[in-house]
Amino acid sequence: MAGKGVITPQKDRSDLIVRLQEAQQRYGYVPEEVIRALADSLNIPVHEVYGVASFYSFLSTRPLGRNVIRVCKSLPCYLKSAEMIMEAVQKELGIGLGETTPDGRFTFQLTNCIGLCDHAPAMLINQDTHVDLTPEKIKQILKSYQ
Amino acid sequence: MENKINLTINGKEVTGRPGMTILEVARDNGIDIPTLCYIQDLPPIGACRLCVVEVEGSRTLVGSCHTPVAEGMAIQTHSPKVIATRKVLVELMLASHPDACLICDKANICELRRIAADLEIGLPRFRTRKHYFPVEDENTDMVRDMSKCVQCRRCVIACKSKGDEPLFGMAYRGFDSKVIHGYDQPLGSEACEDCDACIDICPSGALRKPRRAGEERAAKALIIKG
Ligand code: SF4
Ligand code: SF4
Ligand code: FES
Ligand code: FES
Repeated sequence: MAGKGVITPQKDRSDLIVRLQEAQQRYGYVPEEVIRALADSLNIPVHEVYGVASFYSFLSTRPLGRNVIRVCKSLPCYLKSAEMIMEAVQKELGIGLGETTPDGRFTFQLTNCIGLCDHAPAMLINQDTHVDLTPEKIKQILKSYQ
Repeated sequence: MENKINLTINGKEVTGRPGMTILEVARDNGIDIPTLCYIQDLPPIGACRLCVVEVEGSRTLVGSCHTPVAEGMAIQTHSPKVIATRKVLVELMLASHPDACLICDKANICELRRIAADLEIGLPRFRTRKHYFPVEDENTDMVRDMSKCVQCRRCVIACKSKGDEPLFGMAYRGFDSKVIHGYDQPLGSEACEDCDACIDICPSGALRKPRRAGEERAAKALIIKG
């Protein structure tokens, strides 16, 4: 992973989240080197940068699959059988929660409410929303992500 | 003597000065409010919520360690609602805490145990998994057992390492939250000043001195009176 340094040099710790998001987008996760370099350039402890990176669920400190599935686990979706959706995803991909398929194609995660409760149950794949889900729809939807 | 603030605590009229917290005024008047994260003379942390009190007219309970007194406040420090809340907080802390008091080095000076006893916490009501983190003893003068950490953050505030930044911080979220050093790595001996500030102030067995052969325990062995 040589050459993964600070994305944009900056001096202000209020920029921290933006920089972490940049790294997330560029590498698909926030590598340790970026975290350490950010801490250096901002002159703040590594634990603070790592603390922020590990707190937000849309930042990851470990490599993820090419496509990240986030099924909503909040109450409205739960009441509309989100659990069946989670099961369908796991069965289709053969992986458990938080895992990545061996071919690196998918990572399966859960998320809190994504504001699509009126079309519950809902999920995100990368930036795309998928609503009014049924277990039957899952196979078809997953097919369109390579 | 103009700068006096008049208020009542548990119906008793008391006075405070501007900038004093409810906790300070209460303690000045001999009223004991339990605290876990608060450290006298250091900035309030507000993490544990054990110090909550009822303030008339306030929709929610307020943390007394970080809420300044105001003219005319009417405060209840031991109402049934307050006690019930404190109990639940401690029960939740204990729910994920290892059942290790019998062999814990700090058992006899453990503030968590003392508070649990004071609040008459009984058998566990909440079933959850226990926190488990490997014990870290890379530093020759400190053993960190994060399974026993109650996340009061006292160590974060108390750390006196060189520079203005503490050696500890919070990471992860929810049940997984943890006090970490660096990239969630064991604290070595290089960075640490061995001042023991964090060990002395940790309310639980999470931070302690390593015990060397022939040395006395930090506290007498735990004796349970039947
Ligand atoms: S830290 Fe306190 S409550 Fe925890 S095991 Fe030790 S004595 Fe018991
Ligand atoms: S290690 Fe001790 S002082 Fe630090 S947060 Fe945990 S319980 Fe509090
Ligand atoms: S609860 Fe699932 S989108 Fe709001
Ligand atoms: S003592 Fe007030 S919040 Fe912990």
